[in-house]
This record gives sequence, structure tokens and C-alpha cells, in this order.
Amino acid sequence: MAKQTSYFPELKRNWWLKHPYFKKYMAREATVLPLVFFLVCLLVGLFSLLQGAESWQGWLRFMQNPLVIAVNALAFIASLFHAWTFFQLFPRVMPLRVGGRALPPNLMVLGQWFGVVVVMILAAWIFMRGL
Amino acid sequence: MMTKKLSIQRYLPEQGNAPYWQDFDVPFDDSTSILDALNYVKEELDGSLTYRWSCRMAICGSCGVMINNTPKLGCNSFLREYEGPVKIAPLAHFPVEKDLIVDMEPFLDHLAAVQPYLIDDSRLIDDNEEGTQTYKQTPAQMEKYKQFAGCINCGLCYSACPQFGLNPEFLGPAALTLAHRYNLDSRDQGKKQRMAQMSREEGVWSCTFVGFCSAVCPKNVDPAAAVNQGKVESAKDMLIGIFKG
Repeated sequence: MAKQTSYFPELKRNWWLKHPYFKKYMAREATVLPLVFFLVCLLVGLFSLLQGAESWQGWLRFMQNPLVIAVNALAFIASLFHAWTFFQLFPRVMPLRVGGRALPPNLMVLGQWFGVVVVMILAAWIFMRGL
Repeated sequence: MMTKKLSIQRYLPEQGNAPYWQDFDVPFDDSTSILDALNYVKEELDGSLTYRWSCRMAICGSCGVMINNTPKLGCNSFLREYEGPVKIAPLAHFPVEKDLIVDMEPFLDHLAAVQPYLIDDSRLIDDNEEGTQTYKQTPAQMEKYKQFAGCINCGLCYSACPQFGLNPEFLGPAALTLAHRYNLDSRDQGKKQRMAQMSREEGVWSCTFVGFCSAVCPKNVDPAAAVNQGKVESAKDMLIGIFKG
């Protein structure tokens, strides 16, 4: 334990402003904020769909508000940024071995982005079909 | 010879409770390390400056200090790498004893908690003289933990970890890395004991993957990877525990 004569510097609330590395970390963590907004929009949309046509039209109008579009666009960019950071961390947390050989980290990152593209194409196909 | 300004955080417990900054002008060339600069200050300018050092070649791990808010070993950081004045402070998140000397006891306690040594009761020396047998390990088995075995216990990762700074009870990067290193070792049988430590609240789950510990590690051990691989192990351990009842 700390002795009587020692000095213990306290970590202040603004610790993350003291180093560029911590700022980048906090940016990664902060991506959740616009994403929470998007999820609330989505839940309210589902709820208004249950409420009937009038409620649904009201939700559609709300979603066309430029400010709402801007925050949701930010959520989209934030989710891509978070994916970028997460995909890089993944090979370090789950190093995979195929046939006794370690899979190169770059290949794993590429594989994950390939997955993102596949999901996007699938979502676009489902959405376009409905139009 | 060119000179550079060194701003060193001083703390003399016998003279009061607050640390203060003291500036020194130090001559330097391309080969002058931060440790060389500290030695110059002590020998030529102020003999009362106190700091730890030993090997000068990034093996002993005793000369860790904060250089411009980044934890580094004084011996493998060089004055030529820095523009303007260089701020040197004791390692963050540890109690400061004097000047650049911190109390490493909390770090050593955490290391001891994870039992970072081979545990194998079957090898206890008994009547069959089993204990005298040597272990066998293939290169492939060694490869599994080798990267995590390079730790020199310098403590830089603890100074880089805000979670340890916020909660000194957090076992921290080096201890959790060593736990994972021994769990991965084919000669070891102590995983069960270590998982109890790794899975508690102050274990792997207190890590939020800031990742700065790996950025500052002078031996490229990548403690952040080890701690987060530990989360996977902890989750598997918990699931297996549920199914076993």
C-alpha cells in the first residue's frame, strides 16, 4: 500500500483529453451516441406501424426532417468508423488457425469488410424489390 | 553541442506534499537517451534527483517514466526524437515515493495474484522421482504463448491503462497477460485457479480495449490482445460451467 510519505496523483475526469491516443479511443466509444438515436428512431417506427396509417405517415414525415437525416447519416458514418476499428481488433482477440497455420490478420480484416458488402447488397436487394 | 530543456517533475516528501517542475538544460547528440540525460542532470547539475535505472538496454525494465505524457523506458527513448522541451514525470497511476520513483507494490501484488508460474501438482517430487523428469514441448506448443512471454515487468502498460488509473484494484494488462501466457502453456495445469482471478470483476472484464498498453509495450507483447483473448476464455469457462451445472 501507499506509504504516508508518498504522493498519489488522482486521475481527473478529463484524463482522455491528455493524449491523442485516448481521444481516438473516446471517439470510437462515442460512436454509440448517434447509433442510439438511430435505434430509437427504428423502434418508434415499428411502434407507429402498429398504431395505424396516420401514425406511420407521421413517423415518415419525422424521418424526412433534415436534422433527423443528418443525425442518421452521422450514425451511418459512425457505425462504419466503429466497424473499421473493431475489424482491426478482431484478429488480435480471435487469432484463427487454418490447417495449423495462422491466418494473416489482413485477410481476416478483408473478410469482415467482404461480409459488410454482402449484407449491404442483400439489404439493397430486399429494399429495391419492395419499390 | 546542442542543448535541450528537460522539465522534470520533482517530489521531495521531506520538503512538502506538492510535486513541482524543475527545468534543466542538457547537452545532447543523436545517441543521448532520456536516461543519459537524467544521469547528466544527477552528475553535473543536481545530485538530489532520484530515479531508477540499471541495464541501459531495455531488458531490466526499471527506468520507466512518463515522457511528454507517454509511458516509456528512459533507456530506449532519445532526446533527438523530441521537438522543444521534454517533460519527464514519474510513471502514472502509481504512488510517487520521491522524484521519478514510484511504489511498484500494487503492480507486484497483481502479478502475484494470478500465480504466474507453472502449476503442475503431478510433478511434485515423490517416491517415483517424477519431479526430476524434464518437460517436453514442441515448437508448435511453444508458439502458442511465446509472444506473451516477453514481458519484462516494467509497468509501462499500467501507466498507459486508464482503467487501472480509475480503479487500482483492476488486475491490469501485465498480470492478465501473464495469466493467459501460463494458461496457454502445455506444461501448465493451473488454468482453473487462474480463471477464478481472470473472471472476477477486477479481472479481464474491467478492460475496455483502449489498447494504449500495447502501443507503449517496449517488448511488443501486445497485452491488450492477451487480455481480450482472456475474455474469450472467461466466457467459454462460464458457459462450460453452466452446462456442467
